[in-house]
Amino acid sequence: MATTTAAISLTSDLLSDALSVSTTTTCMKAGTTADGLDQMDTGYIEIPTGDVYDILSLQTSDTQIDKANKVYICNESTDETYYVSVTVKAEVIGRLYAGDWMFIPWGAEHADSDIGLESSTGTNKITYTLFHEGRTLLAS
Amino acid sequence: MATKATITLSSDIMPNYGGYSKEMTMTKAGALTDIEETTGFSRRKLAATTAVDLITMADASLLLETADSTSAKVYVQNVGDGKGTIDKSTYVTISIGDTGGTPQPIGRLYGGDWLLMPVTGADNKDVVATPSTNDAVVLEYVMFFEV
Repeated sequence: MATTTAAISLTSDLLSDALSVSTTTTCMKAGTTADGLDQMDTGYIEIPTGDVYDILSLQTSDTQIDKANKVYICNESTDETYYVSVTVKAEVIGRLYAGDWMFIPWGAEHADSDIGLESSTGTNKITYTLFHEGRTLLAS
Repeated sequence: MATKATITLSSDIMPNYGGYSKEMTMTKAGALTDIEETTGFSRRKLAATTAVDLITMADASLLLETADSTSAKVYVQNVGDGKGTIDKSTYVTISIGDTGGTPQPIGRLYGGDWLLMPVTGADNKDVVATPSTNDAVVLEYVMFFEV
């Protein structure tokens, strides 16, 4: 079985007592305890201003739909005023500022549940990785 | 007053993939100033397939309302039934929107899974949780945000 783990350490001193949370999850295929995600796509891309660009997109009846995909996205830009708006199915969910990362399950409930990024200022440098259990390939 | 999150990814799927580790310090929008507000760490038990607002952006229970479209991050983990049993075959769908409308699904948190993502803080962009079964499931969550 392929094994992919995602660990987080979250600390904050905003509260009167320090908050410290650490956990690790093993990324499994949808609904199973016996088989881990076994495929991945990873990349580094520059996102210019001017439009929403899909970095992860689906095909009709894609085998990724309704699965336990996991997505990591990081804005590697260094200018703190830079950010990208993250969209799922064209709905803005939040902003990734320079240096920020996110890790989410991507259920990909519909064929148009693409993940898109729109740069606000300048060209943002993005790294991303998708862990999944197979996707529909396009014949050439 | 710093809030930091470090992710470490490891995988043997792809040959020569060396894994990944990244630390993020949560800052205010477009600045190097640390984020100063939080909901505090919370725990909520759900036992029905009904969609519920896990975090309501306009809710006074936040004490300080989030500023729209600034810098805010949400962490959520599915910790199983809260009694030590973690079921990888059931899940909670996390969405962004309003339970009175049609929230946009983000993805499924199976037992033990966690997420950390940015949110806008806009009033109609609540964090919504919808369990896949009527079995008890506990979510632990926290939001860091600006006002």
